[in-house]
Amino acid sequence: MSYHIDMEDAAANEPVLLSKHSKNLLRFLHLLPARMASHDNTRSTIVFFAVCGLDVLNALHLIPPQMRQDIINWIYGGLVVPRSNEKQCGGFMGCRAMVPQTDDAELQECVRAYQWGHLAMTYTSVAVLATLGDDLTRLDRKNIVAGVAAVQRPDGSFSACIDGSESDMRFVYCAATICHMLDYWGDVNKETMYQFIMRSLRYDYGFSQELEGEAHGGTTFCALAALELSGQLHRLDTCTVERLKRWLIFRQVDGFQGRPNKPVDTCYSFWIGASLRILNAFELTDYAKNREYIMTTQDKLVGGFAKWPQSTPDPFHTYLGLCGLAFTGEPGLSDVMPSLNISMAAYAHLKQLHESWRLKGDENTTGASPYSIATTPELLDAAMEQQMKMCDDSETSTSPLISAQ
Amino acid sequence: MSDSSDEEYLGTDWLPYSERSEWADVKPLPQDDGPNPVVAIAYSPKFREVFDYFRAIIASREKTWRALELTTDALRLNPANYTVWQYRRDILRELDANLKNELDYLTEVIGQNAKNYQVWHHRRVIVEMLNDASQELELTQNALDIDAKNYHAWQHRQWAIRTFNLYDDELPFVDRLICEDQRNNSAWNQRFFVLKHLGFTPEVIQRELVYTMNRIRIIKGNESAWNYLVGVLRQSEDGLLSSYPEVLEFSEELYNAGNRSPYLLAFLIDVYQEQALQDGANEQLARKVYTLCDDMATKHDVIRRKYWQYVAANLKSQLSSKSAK
Ligand SMILES: [Zn+2]
Repeated sequence: MSYHIDMEDAAANEPVLLSKHSKNLLRFLHLLPARMASHDNTRSTIVFFAVCGLDVLNALHLIPPQMRQDIINWIYGGLVVPRSNEKQCGGFMGCRAMVPQTDDAELQECVRAYQWGHLAMTYTSVAVLATLGDDLTRLDRKNIVAGVAAVQRPDGSFSACIDGSESDMRFVYCAATICHMLDYWGDVNKETMYQFIMRSLRYDYGFSQELEGEAHGGTTFCALAALELSGQLHRLDTCTVERLKRWLIFRQVDGFQGRPNKPVDTCYSFWIGASLRILNAFELTDYAKNREYIMTTQDKLVGGFAKWPQSTPDPFHTYLGLCGLAFTGEPGLSDVMPSLNISMAAYAHLKQLHESWRLKGDENTTGASPYSIATTPELLDAAMEQQMKMCDDSETSTSPLISAQ
Repeated sequence: MSDSSDEEYLGTDWLPYSERSEWADVKPLPQDDGPNPVVAIAYSPKFREVFDYFRAIIASREKTWRALELTTDALRLNPANYTVWQYRRDILRELDANLKNELDYLTEVIGQNAKNYQVWHHRRVIVEMLNDASQELELTQNALDIDAKNYHAWQHRQWAIRTFNLYDDELPFVDRLICEDQRNNSAWNQRFFVLKHLGFTPEVIQRELVYTMNRIRIIKGNESAWNYLVGVLRQSEDGLLSSYPEVLEFSEELYNAGNRSPYLLAFLIDVYQEQALQDGANEQLARKVYTLCDDMATKHDVIRRKYWQYVAANLKSQLSSKSAK
């Protein structure tokens, strides 16, 4: 026996503090302090990080049944359903800033003109509902996808909402997740979407946020995931795929960076990791170094992960750090479906819903394409099993929860 | 995700809207967060009140100067609220306001929130409405002086250059930034953007290759410069890495002088691989690739060892399927 402890061994043996992370994420579902008011508009993304994080931690049971119901109801409370004579602004809002407390119908009518679905909020809302086992019957899928098609630009990109938003690769991604999760593409133009994505491929073979901007890890994920979710990944030729792999693989320093010559950041263990998973090349990375870096950003006191060591943890980096660890097969964590960024269990639930919609011959699914994403049967089986367990847990709660990002 | 609050920014002499006589006619409208809200924020009294009044003016469709000022307060408290920005634009249109003032206001806001999507979007819309981008290069330059890799600033700058044809002085600006920090990948990308617009003629390619090789001589392990070099080579007529032999000569010189930067070796691997496949299974070139991949995997780029093994295996299978034909 030697008393010499190798630093690397110490980091390699560092445990992921699973229960601390669960408690950390649970806290964010409750009352948030005033200093977080600048996140008011994206409250549903905080729900997404917390709920999906707990799911990846196999800890959804820590959300009491009543609270689970409250989350679902609150999410549905953000649903915007336009009338036939109104703009196609269907989808989810991420907050209630534009929902006034009043019985005055005229006042409500005026504010209504500023209530729009927002693609990122619709994506995270549907993902949360799927993760919590909701059957999505309270959604009009056609209506929501009409809202997605309405914010597509002539160049193929997407804005976040019907008015007043920039358009870029982030919302291309959100559009693809929504259509894939709802198994319906309606009037969304996949061809121009593909053209926009390919026009944003840069000379170094990463994708930029829009057109000739700098290649970036986050937007490269958005581009590749959107291609996969829209069944267009096969359109990339072998040469392009190999060069994409090169750019992605070169992002590893110990953890991953988002651009060449930028510092490493925990969230890129997800963005780059997921991109490589989509290209079936994640196993070419160094798992131990990746894990080692993520672990240096773990807050041992209050749980959670930060972007850098000695920084304050937040739900965003906590969730993406957990996903990054899940990719390397960390014990105690569920596997994550890379392109939707939800657990395989939640994805299995979605597939089950798609199946039932198709069997019912739901008019919404007419013309929808068959599943384009391959998951191994074993993975799906395991995921289903877990899903069933989750449903058992929730049986005490009231309705539309049970049936089965 | 950062917690920012501009509570203090509004000053200590803050007078609540409820105590302002000029707002006495407005009845604030509280937010309806449903019966059992989750992720509820414990808004400060100030935040709550400002947004209660904001909802009230939206509900009465009020588009006045005082409403415009109210949006200023609301945006200081939450610059990420895209609906407030949208309503502000609707007010500006209704009032036919002097948009130059709005640009000044935005210059100040961007100075404090240089990484906020909504602010930059608002700027873009106002510049479009004015059809005047004369301040955009200076604005983005100021933001880049603080953070030379600020993605929002670069995006806005590219948009302004593309939309208003402002390419003329961009190359000297980019050159300055590359001189200041040769590892500034954003600046290299901008260089490519400008030259792509001007056209990658053989002369331009030649000049850019020399420029980049000179940079690499100073810092050999700079991925940004190597990526740019490869990107420019692929702009040549046949798109081959070997189309300008001086680049391969330059790289082999570096190698023979003992440099083992992973980016140099990766470039050599790519060139030899390309030639090996072109040459109809040239064994000697292929062996060079295998040796370099092995050196990378075991010595110079160990973190990517599995990747370099994969590259070698990939070439092997490509060559064998070629010779099988
Ligand atoms: Zn990050």
